[in-house]
This record gives sequence, structure tokens and C-alpha cells, in this order.
Amino acid sequence: MATVKVSEAEKVYILHGIRDDLRVDGRGCEDYRHVEIETDVVSNTDGSAKVTLGYTAVLVGIKADIGKPKPMVPNEGYLEFFVDCSANATPEFEGRGGEELGTELSNTLYKVFNNKHSVDLKSLCISAGEHCWVLYVDVLLLQCDGNLYDAISIAIKAALFNTKIPRVHISADEEGGKEIELSDDPYDCMRLDVENVPCIVTLCKVGHRHVVDVTLQEKACSVASLIISVTHKGTITCTRKVGGGSLDPESIFEMTEAGKRVGKALHAPLMALLQQEESLGKKRQKVGFLG
Amino acid sequence: MAGLELLSDQGYRLDGRKATELRKVQARMGVFAQADGSAYLEQGNTKALAVVYGPHEMRGSRSRTLHDRAVINCQYSMATFSTAERKRRPHGDRKSTEMSLHLKQTFEAAVMTQLYPRSQIDIYVKILQSDGGNYSVCVNAATLAVIDAGIPMRDYVCACTVGFVDETPLADLCYAEESGGVSSLALALLPRGGQIALLQMDARLHQDHLETLIEAAMTACKGVSKVLDQVVRQHLEEVSMLTGE
Amino acid sequence: MKETPLSNCERDFLLKAIEEKKRLDGRQTYDYRKIKIKFGTDYGCCFVDLGLTRVMAQVSGELVAPKESRPNEGIMFFNIELSPMAAPTFEQGRQSELSVKLNRQLERCLRNSKCIDTESLCVVSGEKVWQIRVDVHMLNHDGNLMDAASIAAITALCHFRRPDVSIQGDEVTVYSPEERDPIPLSIYHMPISVSFSFFQQGTYLLVDPCEREERVMDGLLMIAMNKHREICSIQSSGGIMLLKEQVMRCSKIASVKVSEITELVVKALENDKKARKAGEKCGFAESLPQERITALKVGKTPVEVMDVTEQANDIVQKAESCSLTVHTRVPSPLVPVPGVGQVGQGQQTTWGLEEEEEEEEEEEEVDEEEESDNSSEQDKKVTKMEEEDSRGDVVEISDSEEEEVVILHPETADKALKNTGSSFHQKGAAPSKQKRKK
Repeated sequence: MATVKVSEAEKVYILHGIRDDLRVDGRGCEDYRHVEIETDVVSNTDGSAKVTLGYTAVLVGIKADIGKPKPMVPNEGYLEFFVDCSANATPEFEGRGGEELGTELSNTLYKVFNNKHSVDLKSLCISAGEHCWVLYVDVLLLQCDGNLYDAISIAIKAALFNTKIPRVHISADEEGGKEIELSDDPYDCMRLDVENVPCIVTLCKVGHRHVVDVTLQEKACSVASLIISVTHKGTITCTRKVGGGSLDPESIFEMTEAGKRVGKALHAPLMALLQQEESLGKKRQKVGFLG
Repeated sequence: MAGLELLSDQGYRLDGRKATELRKVQARMGVFAQADGSAYLEQGNTKALAVVYGPHEMRGSRSRTLHDRAVINCQYSMATFSTAERKRRPHGDRKSTEMSLHLKQTFEAAVMTQLYPRSQIDIYVKILQSDGGNYSVCVNAATLAVIDAGIPMRDYVCACTVGFVDETPLADLCYAEESGGVSSLALALLPRGGQIALLQMDARLHQDHLETLIEAAMTACKGVSKVLDQVVRQHLEEVSMLTGE
Repeated sequence: MKETPLSNCERDFLLKAIEEKKRLDGRQTYDYRKIKIKFGTDYGCCFVDLGLTRVMAQVSGELVAPKESRPNEGIMFFNIELSPMAAPTFEQGRQSELSVKLNRQLERCLRNSKCIDTESLCVVSGEKVWQIRVDVHMLNHDGNLMDAASIAAITALCHFRRPDVSIQGDEVTVYSPEERDPIPLSIYHMPISVSFSFFQQGTYLLVDPCEREERVMDGLLMIAMNKHREICSIQSSGGIMLLKEQVMRCSKIASVKVSEITELVVKALENDKKARKAGEKCGFAESLPQERITALKVGKTPVEVMDVTEQANDIVQKAESCSLTVHTRVPSPLVPVPGVGQVGQGQQTTWGLEEEEEEEEEEEEVDEEEESDNSSEQDKKVTKMEEEDSRGDVVEISDSEEEEVVILHPETADKALKNTGSSFHQKGAAPSKQKRKK
């Protein structure tokens, strides 16, 4: 469900709880819900990941395609984002119902991920000005229970980590034309460096405090939230305020500080988990949706 | 047949199956907590997620309300990354609209809609990975989801595609076989009464072969229904264990 | 506009009639309505009448770049347009469920069955191929759009001629029809769709449902077949549950119907070819000098003549007390010819199944009438009413005989004249009204 209705009494209950650093599900203000990550779940993509965060579930698939670099930056590849708010998540998204949210999400994703500080776009270039890799990042929303941005960003980072781009060999023929040859060997592939890929932390102003990883009920109590993308070093790459309400500069500062703290703490276990999963290699029992 | 040999002289198919052998079917019910019913089903490399909402009050235009039964509303979509070539949009093209229509038709025949007058049942199916037989995988997944939602049905609806090569019917086609120019037939069956909820056939086939092909499809569907039954029973066992009954 | 709902009375009446194996228009369960095929002045334009259902198909060709995946194959494009002209419930520009269903079925019927040799449409591999576009427009909706559309589309494709092209080096020349004769498409076989509707959970089966019947049916089964008895596509729709035996039965009926219709299409094409060769007027334009609005025309009601004499006597006796004679013509701006009485729709029907024989008879008749048509230009004005269905390139088919005119006992004929005279300006509803008056 994209939105829920919360009664006044419930709102007061939630607000009071947050004031005392105790949320409805027993978490503290800066705690995440239980996160599950699995990579390589869809076999006909180049990289994929499934993330569940509480009841929020997203699936990200990445396909690498050869395209033409943008004329402004001839020696870089680029990323394309598409967020499919499917009707599976909520009947409200049926038909064209999810398009608005989908565009909003993908626009933010462009800002956060499609720059050379987050992803090494130069490594995606095949031959300057002519060919480059285009990574189509398709996000599929399967269930939403608040905090979509964080879940999607974690899933994208995991999927990028999992992405295997086939190596290319460029050979020039006699007439000076270039021929691109893709490697057939599935192990002969290029991996992306995801160290600098940021994660998004959404902070919601509820009452006088701010909380991370809001559920839908909590979101209904808040008027404004701040989206912060943080790298593993704690650098902030992008912030955005969403929601109808306003935030005073004081609390924005506080929220950014909190976001940095939470973001840094999020990256370390995430990377460790991804490395661990990778090291299992083929032995890993794939769970997917069957588990 | 140009190019690929779909059925070897020894009677094996491209992926090593026998002519009447189905792909491995794996399924799980109750994948999502928020929906009223949900199921995930894999048939070989084709993977589908089905979610059911309802029966609930009519959404949107009330003019579609039926006074004597529930309206079944289906949407079929494919994840943009589900096919080998990336799809530009998940739904809305002619083929997926048609697929939604077919699903709707199938479930209108199977669900006891007359029990829920003036209400609506939503069935949403998403193909996560496509490797042939999309329609049948969707139907099978949706059946489990409807059962998970606790909506009464006349029987399991099981679907299967069959092809016809060298005078032999091949059960449960994969993508390579489907695109290899085989005449294929998709059939949704209510196995107990042998009733056909949907029948669709493409490409040329002589009339005399129709009966054998339908026969083969019905056998395949009955095979699928056994697997689905097992999944439902196992799911029930697990649930009743958890609730301690 | 929203569809006007069908009243429960009417629904019950229709279903009851079907249960009693009767149909509103006097057909038997497996009968088709009268099929008429006409051609436009241009190649590739075809009108098909199926009872009151009327569709037009227009084929056009254009040189385009081929699809990357199939560099040496031409492209086939099909489109069915449901315009509000056909029925007020059809909305312009909206992809309704029905239009998706029809479009996909036509695509499956004609493209997936590979009835057209697409490779022959290639001009320069990977660069230029013919794109053949088939546009089917619904002009009037009286049920069974799919069958009418499939007949119109395949006939138009057979009728179509594409301009000749030649390649010299890199240069592609397209010749106008004056320079070089246009070339027909190479068509392997002709798939024709036959629709079966099911009522009362599949207990009753009807071929070629009309609009009213479509509204009370539970489900539809469309089988497309060619005359070699190869099934090109099957599609069931509507929430019905079929049994295998029913499908098998339908496929058998379909094969008979398809061979009949194919024969008709071939005949129509031949007639048109002859007419064109002889330089006669042909096509749509031909109907213009007659100053008649063709769309308002109603065909003659099919009447069975198996045991005419007996029945006629019967009727005459009955007619003494209650006139059952019916004039089925819709008034045209011209003064009608008196004395064209016909036994009308209300009659009980018991005709048999000697379809093919009758058909031949009927076609001969058409030819005869055609001759008279040409010879007696003078008489034409007077006899126009009678001849109106029998222009050179028009062939009709119906499972029942309808050309023969039954002239009743003089007395009744007079009566009929009076009746029809008085109510002549009422349209189709006239017959039933008369009866009620009596």
C-alpha cells in the first residue's frame, strides 16, 4: 500500500513514542528494520538483487547494452533508470497509476547515481565517442511499506556489485573500421567498483525528532522528510527535501549529521555481506522467492 | 525444420527432456504479507509472481459493478529485464493487454464469482523471468495466489503449452522451442471435470492432429495440477504448524 | 456512449428461442448469414456483408526498411478500426478490450499462419522491403465481426496488386500501373475464421452469432482454418468451460464452413477479374449511377424452399385468416415493383442441409440475372429492385435458398400488396407490426 490512514489517537501514540525514542515496532529512532539481501536472482540479467526491508520489497535488474556515449562526455558510459511501480505492490498502481511515483523515484536515482563520483563511468567506455556500455537499471517495486528510497538504493548498490559486464576486444580491420567482439566466456568479465556508490538515507521529521526507515504509519505522522545520499566515507553527495511541510535550518543540520552517521554505519555491513555472498560462489543455495 | 532439431532421433528435446516431460515446477504461497493472497511459481526458467487483492468494494468507476457476481480484474505485466532483450515498458502493449484479457477470462470461469456480488477481485501477475510458456506459468501462479487469498474456486486451474513436432506432441515448451516455429497450443484446464477454461492455438496444424494435441495438453495440465496440489497441502501444513493447530 | 442494457425479458426470450433451436432470423443453428463480397475500384479494397454486419478492408503497400531481426522479409501490419459508425458504443481512438481481441486474433489468423510469402516482399535485403498494411474498418456491427473481418482481410489481400519494382545496381525503380502491370501477392493459403457461440454453460452452440445473440452468449470459440483443413488458430473467449468433444465438433463444422466460404471468395475474385478484363464497370463506383444509398439496403430475407408447394398451400390457407406475407424490402427512393411477395421472417423454418447444391443453383442464378442486367438497360429502371443484389462482381452465399420468389395465391398477393403499400414507409419493423394489427 502506498498510503495508509492513521487515526488521530494513533498519531498521538506514535508521536509520543518517538519522543521517548521508542517506536511502535520497538526500534530506536536511528534503527533500521530487518534487511534481507540476495544477489543474482534473475538469471537473464547481468546483475540483479532483491532486497526486503521490513515489508518493503524491491527487485533490481541491471542489463548492460552497448550504446553511443553522450556527445558532452564522449569517454564515459552512462546509466539509465526505470522504476516500475507494479500493481503487485498495491492496486493503486494499476494501469498508469504508478507512473507518477515511478518518475519521481527514477529522477532522484539519476541525480544520486548517474555521476562519475558514484560509479566509475569511464570504465564503461569502450571506444571514446563511438561505443560505451549503457547500464539499464530497472527497479521493480514488489511491496511497499515505507522507506522506498533506502531500499531501492541498497538494492541498486547490491545489483551493481553483482553486475558482470562481458569483456570486449576491439580489433581494427584493414579499412580502419573497428570491430567489437564480446567475450563468450562467462567468467571473462568486468566488475564495477561499487565502493563509492552511495546509499540513500531518508530521515523523517516526526514531532520534534527525526527517525530513519519509517513505516507507512510513521510516514503518515510526518510532514516532511530529507533524502540524503551518503558514501561509505560519510560524504554527502545529494540531499533533497520531500513532502509538503517545511524544515528549519537547525533541524536540517541535525538531520544531515544523523544521516551521515547512519549512512556510514549502513555501508560497512552491506559491503561485508556482499563480499561474503560473493565468496560462496556457486556453492550458494539460491533462495529467491522460494525461501 | 530449419536450424534447430527440436526432437532428436532418440526422442530427447533441446534441454534433454522427454516429449511428455514437464519442466521442474517449484512454487511457494504467501510470499507477501500485505496482499490478500500471493504466490511465486517457477517453471523451469520462467518465473512469475502473482498477487491477489480482494474481494473488495469496486474501485474506480462503479458502473462496472455486477449485481450478481464479482468482477475479476487482471493485469499482466513483464519486468523490463525479464526478456533477453530489454523491454521498454512493463505493460500496456497489445500483447500484454491480450494476456490480461485471457487471464481474466480463465479466472472468470474458475472462480466462484457469484459468491461475491457487487465486489471486485484483483489478480496481478508479473513475469520476472521469461523462458516460454508465460501464459501457463501466470495461470498456475495466479491459481495458487487465489487459493492463498481464500477465494473459492471450482477446481485448480492448470495451464500448459504443448507443441507439435514430427507427429509428436511436446509438453511445456521452453522459449527456444516456442520461437522455433512449432505450432503451439495453450490450454487452461479444470482437471477434475476435464473442462477447458481457455484454449488458444497458433500456427498451422492439420485438423486430424488436434485431438492428440489437446489430449497431450490435458495430460500435461493434470501433471501440473498434482504439483500445485502438493504445494497447497505443504503450505497448509506449515501454516497449521505455526498456528499450533 | 454506454451500451444500452438488454432487458431481462429480451434476454430470456432469446435464450428460450435458442433452447428451442430457433433463431431470430430464421436460421438453423449451423447456418451462416448471407455473405456478400464486393470490391472497390482500386485493387485491394473489399467490402464484406455478413447479414447486416458490414466491414471494409483496404490493403496498401509501402517501401520501408525491414526489421533488424528479419532483414529479408516484408512486414505485415494489421489494424482493425472500430469506429462509432459501426455501433454507437464503439469509441474512437480508444483501445477497448474488443479491439485488442479482434486485432490480435486477426494477426494470429493471418500473420502467424504465414499465409503470405513475406520473403517475396523483400526488395533489397536489409534496406528496402514492402510493408503491407491491412486496414479493416467496421461499417456496421451486427455481430460476428471477427469472421467478417477475416474474410474481408484475406479477400482484400488476394485482390491486392503491388507496383512492380526493378533493381539496377543501387537504383530501385517503382513502376506505376501504366508502365508495368502490378503484381499480386503470393498467398499460400487462405485462413478463414469461423465463430461459435455457446449458451447456457455450453449446452447450446450456434454458428455466426448476430449482435443480439452475442449479447446473451456465455462464450465464444473462434477457429481459423484453411480449406486444406489446417487449423491456423484457435481462441476461446468469455468465461466458458468447454469440453474436448465440443472443441472437436466445432473444428469439424468449421472445416465445412471454411471450404464453402473459400469457394465463395475464389468465385468472387474470379468474377471481379472477369469484369475488370471485360472493362466493365466495377467496384464501389459502379453503384453510384444508380442513385441509391447502398448502406441502407436490406437484403432479401432467406426463405427455405425445400417443400415449397406443400408449405405454400399451407400458408395460403392460413393466410386467408391471417396474412403472413411480408415485404422485406426497405423502401428505396424509387417506386417499388408491385407483386414481390415473400414469405417472411416469422415463418417456421425446417430447411435441410443440402447446402452445396443450393449454392450452385443460386450462383447460376446470379449469373443469369447478370446477363439480363447487361442486356436490358431499358428495363433496368423497373426491375432495379429485383436486381439490386446481383451486380457483376457480387456473389452471395447463404445456406438457404432465398432467390426464389414465392408468389402466393392471387388473393393473398393482393392482400399483401395492400398491406405493404400502406406500411411501406416503415422500415424493418413493418412485418411484425402488420401481424399485430391483424
